[in-house]
Amino acid sequence: MIKVSNVSKKFGRKHVLRNINFTANKGEITCLIGINGVGKSTTMKAIMGLTPIDQGEILIDEKKIHHSMYENITFIPDTLTMLPSFTVGEAIQFMEDFYVNWNQERAKELLGFFRLNLDEKLGELSKGNAAKANLLFGLGLDVDYVLMDEPFSGIDMFSREQIAKVFTSHLIEDRGVIITTHEINDIEHLLDKAILLDNGEILKEFYTEELRSEEGKSVIDVMREVYQS
Amino acid sequence: MEFIVNNREPVYLQVVRHFKQQIAKRLLEAGQEIPSRRELAVQFNINPNTVQKAYKEMEEQGLITTEKNYPSKITTDVEILKGIRNELIMEAVNEFVDSIKVINVPVEELLEMVKKNYELKQTNHEEGESK
Repeated sequence: MIKVSNVSKKFGRKHVLRNINFTANKGEITCLIGINGVGKSTTMKAIMGLTPIDQGEILIDEKKIHHSMYENITFIPDTLTMLPSFTVGEAIQFMEDFYVNWNQERAKELLGFFRLNLDEKLGELSKGNAAKANLLFGLGLDVDYVLMDEPFSGIDMFSREQIAKVFTSHLIEDRGVIITTHEINDIEHLLDKAILLDNGEILKEFYTEELRSEEGKSVIDVMREVYQS
Repeated sequence: MEFIVNNREPVYLQVVRHFKQQIAKRLLEAGQEIPSRRELAVQFNINPNTVQKAYKEMEEQGLITTEKNYPSKITTDVEILKGIRNELIMEAVNEFVDSIKVINVPVEELLEMVKKNYELKQTNHEEGESK
């Protein structure tokens, strides 16, 4: 379990995170929702220990984040960070050479699933294929927790559908997944838990099935209430 | 099998209803194996935990049976299977009656209209299928 407790952070005088509290469980997909600049990515980076926090505590399986834990948690940014001159195949080779927890079997399966071409250069991939390759490099690692920044944004609908399929499949296994998005449309039935952020604060946190059964509302209904009020 | 999700109703209940409809239409038979939880999640494009919850609900209602390490199967209990058909029919009839009773139509007139409409739709449906 990832447990974020009372986390606050300021950039200068601006509060980017205010008293953030939530948990993300293994075997569940947790989604941080909010329009741009509300603190979603900062929260992810704070969990990864990539940005310092001013207050509060973040525990991963009851331990504070530490370099040794990168074998158990990974962060997939919203753009490819590998050399654009690498081909897909070379990038996979790089991952296999440099990461002890790289799972070549799963990577091959993902490659087939996404129908990516091994010989294509990363810098020449379409947006949709770049998003898929990016996901492949993260999901190919044997880790218990995967954090993904905007895996669904700015790509065509067919790529969205294909990526959505990964979330329902055994390729995710029983890992704990946290994703961020500002576009909830057509992915809300993939989620276990939704966390609505605004201005660095959590406005609402709920299990999507509980929302449907207790209030008869969709996540989009709640977003309208929360963000347009 | 097409499955369209309504995001305002618990998805696990929609999955249960889908299975009941398949059973009532005899597209799923007594004792037939059903997809694993993971397979169904991919097929319907929904969260695997939701499928898990739907299967648990169906086990509790006696619709499916699961033995360890084997795929789940539709029950062979004839009474339960009959009950499903009746339950779906009664649900639809209740909804229909609730919506029509506000208009105060005499029941004989209504039944005649239902019959005609039903026959018309069935012919249209058959024509549609033979195309």
